Amino acid sequence: MSADEDFIRQLARALREARLEAVLVGTGAAILQGVPLLTEDLDLLVRDTPLVKKKLDRLARELGGAWIEISPVTRARRLVGLRAGVDVLFDRIAGDLRFESLRARALRIRLGDEVIVAASLEDVIRSKQAADREKDRAQLPILRDALRVKEAAAQVPRRPKRKGSGR
Amino acid sequence: MSPARLAIELQDLRLRVAPLVPDVDPGDLLLILENLLRGPGSGRAIFLRQDRPGVYVF
Repeated sequence: MSADEDFIRQLARALREARLEAVLVGTGAAILQGVPLLTEDLDLLVRDTPLVKKKLDRLARELGGAWIEISPVTRARRLVGLRAGVDVLFDRIAGDLRFESLRARALRIRLGDEVIVAASLEDVIRSKQAADREKDRAQLPILRDALRVKEAAAQVPRRPKRKGSGR
Repeated sequence: MSPARLAIELQDLRLRVAPLVPDVDPGDLLLILENLLRGPGSGRAIFLRQDRPGVYVF
C-alpha cells in the first residue's frame, strides 16, 4: 500500500471512530476505481446536521488536522495540516446528487483493514458534468473511457486461473 | 502479484477488452486495465502536491 493509499485508510478509520457516515466523492473516488488520475485533495459528502458537525470535530482530532472555511459563500470546509486536504461538502453535490442517493449507489472499497464508501464512477461523472468547471471538463474524457473499459472488462470471460498461481 | 504475472494477465485482458472499446487510447486502456487488475491498496500514487507555483510533485 502506498503512503497515499494509507492516508485514505487512516481517513476511513477516523470516520469509523467518529461514527461519521460519509461518501468519498470526486476524483478521489474515481482513482480508487481504477481511473488513471491524480488529485490534490479528497472530497467527502456528509449530512448537514448538528450531530454531524460534532462528529466532524472528532474526525479532525482523530486525524490531527484543523478545519478552515473554504470560502465565505459556501458551507463546505477543509481539513488542513494532513498529507492532503480533505474537503467536506454538505447534503448534496453538483448535479443535485443528494447524500442518500449517492450512498445508495456507492461502492465499499477495502483498503487494508478499513473500508471507505466511495461514489460510483457514474455519479462522479454526473457531478463533474454538472459542475462543468474547466478542470471537470478536462477529466471527463478519461473518466468516461475508464467507465467504458470497466464495463467491457466485466463482460469478457475470465481467463481460467492456472494451478499453483496462488490466486 | 509479481510483475511477470501482471504482464501476462494484463496482456490477456487487453486482447479481450480492446475490441470492445476500439476508440480508447491504447496507452490509457493499459493504464486503466492495470489499475483494475491491481485493485485499490496496491501501491498507487493518488495525490499531486504543488511544491511551488507551477511545480507539482508526487
